[in-house]
Amino acid sequence: MKIFLIGAGQVGTTIVQALHDEHELIVIDLDPLRLEPLAHRYDVATIEGNGASKAVLAEAGVAMADLLIACTSRDEANIVAAMITKAIAPRTTTIVRTTNPEYLDVWHEGKLDVDFIVSSEIETAHAISRSIGVPAARQTDVFADGQVQLVEFDVVEGSSPAIVGVPLREASLPPDSKIASIIRGETMVLPRGGEVVRAGDRIVVIGSPAAAQAWSELIAPGSGTVTDVVIFGAGRAGIAVARLLLEQGIGVRMIEADRDRARLVAEALPRARVFHALGFDPDFLERERIGDAQVAIFAMRDDMKNLYAATLARVHGIGFTIALVHEPPAVEVFEHAGIDITINPRAVTAEEIVRFAHDPRTVQVSMLDDDRFEVLDITTRPGSEYVGKTFKEMPIRGALIGAIVRDGTAIFPRGDDVLRAGDRAIIFTESKRVPEVEQAL
Amino acid sequence: MSPPTQAARARRIGRPHALAVNVRGTANLVASLIKYLSAATLVPAAVAVGYGETPVPFLAAGAVAVVVGTAVERATRGDFELRAREGFLVVSLTWLAAAALAALPYLFSGETQLDRPLDAYFEGMAGFTTTGATILTDVESLPHSLLLWRQLTQWLGGLGIIVLALAVLPRLRIGGRQLFESELPGPEIESLSTRIRDTARRLWMLYVGLTIVLIGLLLAYGASGLDPELDAFEAVAHALTTIPTGGFSPNARSLEEYAAVTQWTVIAFMILGGVNFALIYAAFVRRRPGRLARDDEFRLYIALLVLGSTILGLELWLGGVIEGGESAVRHAVFQAVSIMTTTGYSSTDFAVWPTLAVMTLIGLMFVGGSAGSTTGSVKVVRHVLLGKILRRELDQTVHPEIVIPVRLNRRVVDERTLRAVSSFILLYVGIFIVAAAILAIDASRTGLDLRVLDAVGVAAAMLGNVGPSFGIAGPLGSLEPFSDLSTALMIALMWLGRLEVIPIVVLLTRHYWRST
Repeated sequence: MKIFLIGAGQVGTTIVQALHDEHELIVIDLDPLRLEPLAHRYDVATIEGNGASKAVLAEAGVAMADLLIACTSRDEANIVAAMITKAIAPRTTTIVRTTNPEYLDVWHEGKLDVDFIVSSEIETAHAISRSIGVPAARQTDVFADGQVQLVEFDVVEGSSPAIVGVPLREASLPPDSKIASIIRGETMVLPRGGEVVRAGDRIVVIGSPAAAQAWSELIAPGSGTVTDVVIFGAGRAGIAVARLLLEQGIGVRMIEADRDRARLVAEALPRARVFHALGFDPDFLERERIGDAQVAIFAMRDDMKNLYAATLARVHGIGFTIALVHEPPAVEVFEHAGIDITINPRAVTAEEIVRFAHDPRTVQVSMLDDDRFEVLDITTRPGSEYVGKTFKEMPIRGALIGAIVRDGTAIFPRGDDVLRAGDRAIIFTESKRVPEVEQAL
Repeated sequence: MSPPTQAARARRIGRPHALAVNVRGTANLVASLIKYLSAATLVPAAVAVGYGETPVPFLAAGAVAVVVGTAVERATRGDFELRAREGFLVVSLTWLAAAALAALPYLFSGETQLDRPLDAYFEGMAGFTTTGATILTDVESLPHSLLLWRQLTQWLGGLGIIVLALAVLPRLRIGGRQLFESELPGPEIESLSTRIRDTARRLWMLYVGLTIVLIGLLLAYGASGLDPELDAFEAVAHALTTIPTGGFSPNARSLEEYAAVTQWTVIAFMILGGVNFALIYAAFVRRRPGRLARDDEFRLYIALLVLGSTILGLELWLGGVIEGGESAVRHAVFQAVSIMTTTGYSSTDFAVWPTLAVMTLIGLMFVGGSAGSTTGSVKVVRHVLLGKILRRELDQTVHPEIVIPVRLNRRVVDERTLRAVSSFILLYVGIFIVAAAILAIDASRTGLDLRVLDAVGVAAAMLGNVGPSFGIAGPLGSLEPFSDLSTALMIALMWLGRLEVIPIVVLLTRHYWRST
């Protein structure tokens, strides 16, 4: 595929890393200092210029592009680049990165001529919400508007004997769920009936949201549900997280140092408790019993402030801390300081864009464990060799159909169910088998 | 360049402006408004001719208003512009002048009950402010034309003189919105249109429409024999004072004699008069009845009416004042609705009710209807907002850093409006307490038979534009025995209450009048 990439910042660089092997990449950026290292390390073409300029795009040959990814830090430049590209080359698929969820809403309403929009804030919020909503999960993904979840668990000594140490065919697994894969060390084990899950394994589960919760309870018994979350910083990311958590019925307190911003957020989120205060004031933390919160999320713009506030919050007794990091080296610092989870909004954004880049038919592709496994969401063609077969008849070729979406409703198939043309299949597979699976369906 | 001479400097600096308010322009506008308003006297003049009575008092009153209005207009003619600040003065003076216009026919009629100017002025103010209290001791002795004039003043005052002028007059020489908002009750008016003139027209069309429907219903009851007591004149007269929640009646015993069906109908229209007209417009004219159910103020308004009626009914039933059955329910509901919507009709003499019931009615006098309705008093929306303000205060006492926007109908209410609501309620209650004290002291000074509780009731009823209260000022009584001082105070209370206190109190501040 011939891919045009506009913007060679953190997001752009991450995308280049993921896609340069398989695809022909042309990177456009205003800043030659950013392009230089990319040109040295990867086999990509670089063009110095304004990606939102029609002249620059036309001369670079965007008419021949299969895919355009506009991922500068400027929303409007990205949208303009995509719209100009559509005008020059109507068949080119366009992906736009935005930091403003409002553009996402406009796009959902079909009023923005862009094929796919990735909002850094929304992706970040989902990443945080997943790690809270299912506390024991290492990484999860959602498909079919949240009806299907993909959850990755580390099985530990304390995990329930209902699933550990017994052959799978005898284990009592939560309904509407399947183990997609067992990862043991460097190998992936297919979950056949005789297989036994052991402590130290990592398992990947596909199932309904209720099933994911049930699994969470089995893996980490007694972890309970989260009802009290504190968010430091009410920027766009903070608001997006708060909104998502509130929708799940989780109580949210927000701490914002800027008076006007605090007022704005309080107006936008009626159910959140918003405080106009500095998160570094021990008196305030004590008075509001911030230490009693189950989870604290640090969503301020400044990594150093996040680190300081997170450390202070830990001193005050918060058990689980999640921090946004903006500079890649900060991840190590945060981990060293004992912050439980770090999330880099740019990395999350890049990941989401890469998922989409894999296959135009793929609505959402999830990458697991450094690209060794992937989850595909593929609509079944009428001519597919699998159509009309029951699930138990399908040969396992390192792939597993975890769920199908038929007429907008998720179904977790049993052995006797039949796959129909037009079903959206959510498939767990090894990366090297992706082309084979896509071919088959 | 050489420095200017002393004389040149003094000329340039000029003399200080005495006033920061354009009084000349204000007088001009008020005179012009009254001149147009005097056209209303033609209606009772026509009725007088129809009933074979003399139209002279009305024509004379109209002539005086036109002559005085024109004279003032001429004297203050000039090129001027009125701004928001003048709005308060325009509204305040217009209502004082309108009450004077209303008083003229009473004086010219030679009617002995109203031959003192202060009494006639009281009756005029009680008319335009839709208060419904009266000086008259024998209402039924008045000629039809004079009775109709009383009713008509309430109908004209219900939605507001300025709103009427905005809707009807070709050109009002002032930015309409400011005037509109200082006259139409309530802290927030939802515009029905982007242009204030269109909003005013729609409000008046709705108002006229509702009045016509009620006239039709009451005429039909009378003609069909459903209510043999109700003649055509009474049907029209009561329709004119129900929607504006006025309360004047051409009968000495108000609505007591009428059939149950008439009283229930009047209850329904009093309730309607207490609903925000913008909401009625949205629900019925634009056919979005769902708006009613979603409106915070409307829901509480209805809930308070039900609660008030129930409490009153229980008190009366347990106290053995009224017997059970439909009539007991009707009397409880009628009085609760009449008092809470600040109408002031009665279906029975509630002045003789036991203390507990009287206290309940006094409480209801402080509720009022919705913002943007024709009712007086505090208004439900202010109670809603005050409740939310207090709840927030309590929350902030424990959590000093918390930020809580106050919402109404899911929309955030800005802090200025909230402060205005708190100030209004403080001023309102303060004025009420002082007035009640003055009335009680003045009554004991003049040896008037007025209990303290009655004085409290009179103050609440005047300030809330309700009308009748208790004791000698009850629904069948009259305010004639009160001293001139008390009468003047009651006139001021009605005026303050109708314009919602603040536009008038603002005039008492130094910084209204001066720049420095």
